[in-house]
Amino acid sequence: MSDLDRQIEQLRRCEPLKESEVKALCTKAMEILVEESNVQRVDSPVTLCGDIHGQFYDLKELFTVGGECPQTNYLFMGDFVDRGFYSVETFLLLLALKVRYPDRITLIRGNHESRQITQVYGFYDECLRKYGSVNVWRYCTDIFDYLSLSALIDNRIFCVHGGLSPSISTLDQIRAIDRKQEVPHDGAMCDLLWSDPEEIEGWGLSPRGAGYLFGGDVATTFCHDNKVELIARAHQLVMEGYKWLFNQQLVTVWSAPNYCYRCGNVAAILELDEHLEKKFTVFEAAPQDVRGVPSSKPAPDYFL
Amino acid sequence: MEPPLYPGRFGSSPGSGVGFAGSSDASVMGTNDDATVSKASCTKMGYVKDDFVKYFIKRFTKRAPVINRGYYARWAAVRKLLHQFLTAAPSENPNVPVKKQVLSLGAGFDTTYFQLQAEGTAPAVYYEVDFLEVTSRKMAAIAHHLELCNILPKYAQVQKDKGEVRSSNYNLVAADLRNVSSLEEALKGAGFDPSVPTLILAECVLIYLEAKDSEALIRWAGDKIKTGVFVIYEQIRPDDAFGQQMIRNLEMRGCPLLGIEATPTPEAKKQRFLNAGWQRAEALDMDAIYTHHLAKADVQRIEKLEIFDEFEEWHIMQEHYCIALGVSDYHQTGMFDRFGFWPTPASPRTQRRSPGTPRTPVGD
Repeated sequence: MSDLDRQIEQLRRCEPLKESEVKALCTKAMEILVEESNVQRVDSPVTLCGDIHGQFYDLKELFTVGGECPQTNYLFMGDFVDRGFYSVETFLLLLALKVRYPDRITLIRGNHESRQITQVYGFYDECLRKYGSVNVWRYCTDIFDYLSLSALIDNRIFCVHGGLSPSISTLDQIRAIDRKQEVPHDGAMCDLLWSDPEEIEGWGLSPRGAGYLFGGDVATTFCHDNKVELIARAHQLVMEGYKWLFNQQLVTVWSAPNYCYRCGNVAAILELDEHLEKKFTVFEAAPQDVRGVPSSKPAPDYFL
Repeated sequence: MEPPLYPGRFGSSPGSGVGFAGSSDASVMGTNDDATVSKASCTKMGYVKDDFVKYFIKRFTKRAPVINRGYYARWAAVRKLLHQFLTAAPSENPNVPVKKQVLSLGAGFDTTYFQLQAEGTAPAVYYEVDFLEVTSRKMAAIAHHLELCNILPKYAQVQKDKGEVRSSNYNLVAADLRNVSSLEEALKGAGFDPSVPTLILAECVLIYLEAKDSEALIRWAGDKIKTGVFVIYEQIRPDDAFGQQMIRNLEMRGCPLLGIEATPTPEAKKQRFLNAGWQRAEALDMDAIYTHHLAKADVQRIEKLEIFDEFEEWHIMQEHYCIALGVSDYHQTGMFDRFGFWPTPASPRTQRRSPGTPRTPVGD
């Protein structure tokens, strides 16, 4: 068994790698990711996944309902880290699978794959707690800069973490972005990771303070101009796991069940067969006894 | 949905006094420590000015932005009502100052008294009631920190054996809210005079009691307080997915929301006041209060304090808390005619979604 296979086994048991192993894994991952396009081509059949947010045991549940990688071809649409208890193990498992099976798993960047956001929402603190230093956080956030920004399935389905950008009307404009940087506060790259669809016309200001709100007319024009039939994205919690918008021109997929161990929502993955026939599989959170909420961890916060 | 982790959610063990196998007084008291840490986080991050909360925590823990913002919303909403109460004047002789008092039930380590004193806006008297274990710890913290002692009037008495503090404007009283007659006795001993216009405050307190106990308390207050208001902040909507999870999580902490089934909606909380002798009542969920009823400029200020990426969760959480209030003005002073968050100003955003359904953010 190769070191990498052993590491994958270890990560599947939710045991983090040594710091030196993380460094080596990141180096290998960088060599693979640097070759990917900002609009990474993906062939069907493929299974689309939304936000995971460090909910490792729910990711295991996802693989149970969706099939293991490499048997199933996966596309994860970002937000692997933050909020949950196991961002380190979650991201490293996905990254190790990427290195081991580069053509069977695609990882694109979410707005939480950022130095700034991870310092607020948990990944930084978790790395510090688990490794006693921020080196692993540095290796991982350096890798984040190499993650692709979007994917295109069979030239027909455009996948992105957040949504569209008023600075972008063609896929070629996305391809021209120099993505190897921290997520900027504004501009095309920021918008792709931060924007949200909304029942408005045209563009609106986002309450998130980054990205935009875009209406159905914007989605229609984008799909028409780029000859795609569907925009698939993640980024927003939907209690039912997935949600259609704009006459089925856009779908939100959310893959973190019982988000933050508090929201009570179900999660979904979108399975596309070789004809791009769509099947949503909805799944619930892993049962509490296998979920392994660390006993030292307090219960989810409320206003008490 | 997975089944409840603890059996017998609505079970009741007759004669136990607590009434629920999974509910323990210690866990309910523990909610005070948790809330105090959250308030300290909210303060440290600049949401709220509170120079005193730091004396009541053992260790600082930074909370997520959604929690900081939620405690801010609660603080700002309660503050708005407190301010309305403290400045309320009778319709006749509006310029004659009226003596007023606050009675905070299950006050825990809340520092509002100290904040109001420091601001110079405190009422004539402030009463705080909690379990003896909690008041003893609060008393000890007050005795230990000069910064807190200095806020109290000169001749304040710290009664160590009783876990109480007595003074001309601040009284810390130990009592079990489930026993109304002993509560009344304890308050009497501290000089509480129900004929003085009173604001009663209960933040996340009554919801941990069995419905019969909270109803008894509200009825007792309704009988005694002929000129005053009762403000409650607590959980609602136990029946959707978020509500179910909230119930499970709090059961696991040993502090189940024993009262939530009896008053699951703002409407039910309002009705509880009206049934208990309060003349007027209102209730509104916190999502609506935050959106429509807090000072815009201050909301804009705090929204810039931290990166905030929890919008869907934020709205869902706020929809599961409400402020309910009862108003009585049996002597027709007119003091509280305009007390509350209402009437709601007309706004295109007042249209309600069904609770628990995610909201896509609105760009305003």
